[in-house]
Amino acid sequence: MDSKPIEAEGLVKRYGKLIAVDGIDLELRSGEVFGFLGPNGAGKTTTVRMLTTLLKPTAGTAKVAGYDIVKEADQVRRRIGVALQEASLDPLMKATELMRLQAVLHGMSKSVAIERTKELLERVGLTEAAHRQVRTFSGGMKRRLDLAVSLVHEPEVLFLDEPTTGLDPTSRLNLWEEVRSLNRDKGTTIFLTTQYLEEADELAERIAIIDGGKIVREGNPSSLKAQVSDPTLRVVVEEELQLKTTEILKGFGEIRPSKDEVIAIGLANGVTMMAEVVRSLDDAGISVKRLELDEPSLDDVFADATGYRLEGAEEIADAQEAAEKEAGVFDDESEK
Amino acid sequence: MTARQTLAQAEELSRRSIIALFRQPQSWIPGFFFPILLALVYTSQFSGATNLPGFELTDSFLNFLLPASLLQGISFGATIGASDLAVDIEQGFFDRLLVSPANRLVILLGRMAGTMTWATIQCCSLTLIFIALGVRIHGGSLAFFTILLVGVLLSLFLGSFAMGLALATGSEEVVQSLFPLIFAFLFLSSAFFPTEAMTGWYRQLAELNPITYIIDPLRRMVLSDFNWGDAGQAISVVLLLATLGIAFSLYRLRKKLAKT
Repeated sequence: MDSKPIEAEGLVKRYGKLIAVDGIDLELRSGEVFGFLGPNGAGKTTTVRMLTTLLKPTAGTAKVAGYDIVKEADQVRRRIGVALQEASLDPLMKATELMRLQAVLHGMSKSVAIERTKELLERVGLTEAAHRQVRTFSGGMKRRLDLAVSLVHEPEVLFLDEPTTGLDPTSRLNLWEEVRSLNRDKGTTIFLTTQYLEEADELAERIAIIDGGKIVREGNPSSLKAQVSDPTLRVVVEEELQLKTTEILKGFGEIRPSKDEVIAIGLANGVTMMAEVVRSLDDAGISVKRLELDEPSLDDVFADATGYRLEGAEEIADAQEAAEKEAGVFDDESEK
Repeated sequence: MTARQTLAQAEELSRRSIIALFRQPQSWIPGFFFPILLALVYTSQFSGATNLPGFELTDSFLNFLLPASLLQGISFGATIGASDLAVDIEQGFFDRLLVSPANRLVILLGRMAGTMTWATIQCCSLTLIFIALGVRIHGGSLAFFTILLVGVLLSLFLGSFAMGLALATGSEEVVQSLFPLIFAFLFLSSAFFPTEAMTGWYRQLAELNPITYIIDPLRRMVLSDFNWGDAGQAISVVLLLATLGIAFSLYRLRKKLAKT
């Protein structure tokens, strides 16, 4: 694809006096996963509906896969895959029937449709449920089927609108893996909207934060975090060595508040300075019990950009942790 | 899209409508059997009424009711496709169809084709049941095929009108609220009693109701010989209604698509 997968300039959507999307600019790179992060009502879904030709913009222009979303809407529709919020599947249809319908709607032949159906259902782990009606599916299965259906015609750009909302943590992890492998194996450009910080952090190479219809921050997660502040280095040493350690660490950054036994500093240049810190402590004969470097979170970025924290972030983190434990993923400490 | 691909899309969408009907029998079983039960009850209650004016062609009330019962069954089934369309809109499946490159008109025509196919199935099955109950179509196969064509066109009228409402409101409840209106529409006509046996405002309404001008010629075909004049009258009236219904649904589709 020579042109940009998505280009938008001054995109606006107004409903009477309400401005749902307020002049956003976007430029996606081919083959990237782009995270569109924001709370409920920020304008994420309205943006997706405009980019997928479901809604006419009030002002501004946008091209998807090189085609204008208003003047060349039909060309856009041929090149995109869309999994909208709340899996939009007919509960009375069987998985294979849905896949065939989607294939026919995209003008594919029956033989190609059968082949793609088999391949995609296998890919999303639904081969055994292929001949079951969608109404018997769990939430996670529906989302995976929704993903498979949106991939039948091998789209250049895939829109995933809050793909994991309402899913249990295990299903969420499974879907993340699916999105990663899709992007890795096929190089499909993915426009992912989410209100989950973890999701954006895990999946997206670049992120735009939208709030009140405007993009308030854009970049890759690491650089966005770096813009907010330096990472925090936390060091634990024997009690009698704390004073000496503090003096040495002061040379690398400002002291930050921490718990009693922990010495924390804001470490400029983060990971690249770690070796030097360790060497200095070693040269001073200080034996380190624990050493941690914490990057600022996306929530810090969000708070810095909007003035408030994204609701539910903590619950998601807890759910994520619970899912990892359930799946048997333990960190070093708990394993001991 | 080529014409062949468009045709394949219409066929697939139509098939989807029919499959949905078979997978939710609760949506059509009451409407299918109700006309039979009503005809049997009316026949046992009003068999003596065949001595009244308007019954000159028959002494069988069940025979007299056949066209009305067939059209009643078809009418009740005609809105199921529109209800399903409203559910599609409510649940977001309609958006899935809209983000595909499928012809917009085909999305609606597929549903209409499903509704007409269902009307054909209903008309044939109900006719067989009524024949088994002793009804005779004196006008022969030409009369039956006229009734079938009129029934299919009536389903197109009611179905497309209901689809227009579904597109305008996106609400299954609104579409289902048509059911009692259709019921009243049929009762305020000559469907169950000849207008000659009616008096006052009821007769005036029945004489204004287009259903009367569809039912009366069909009934003459069932009770005596087939004639092209009756067939032409019934088909013209229902064709006019179907045209209005299609125009309404296409107008609502255009309004809905104007936002995209």
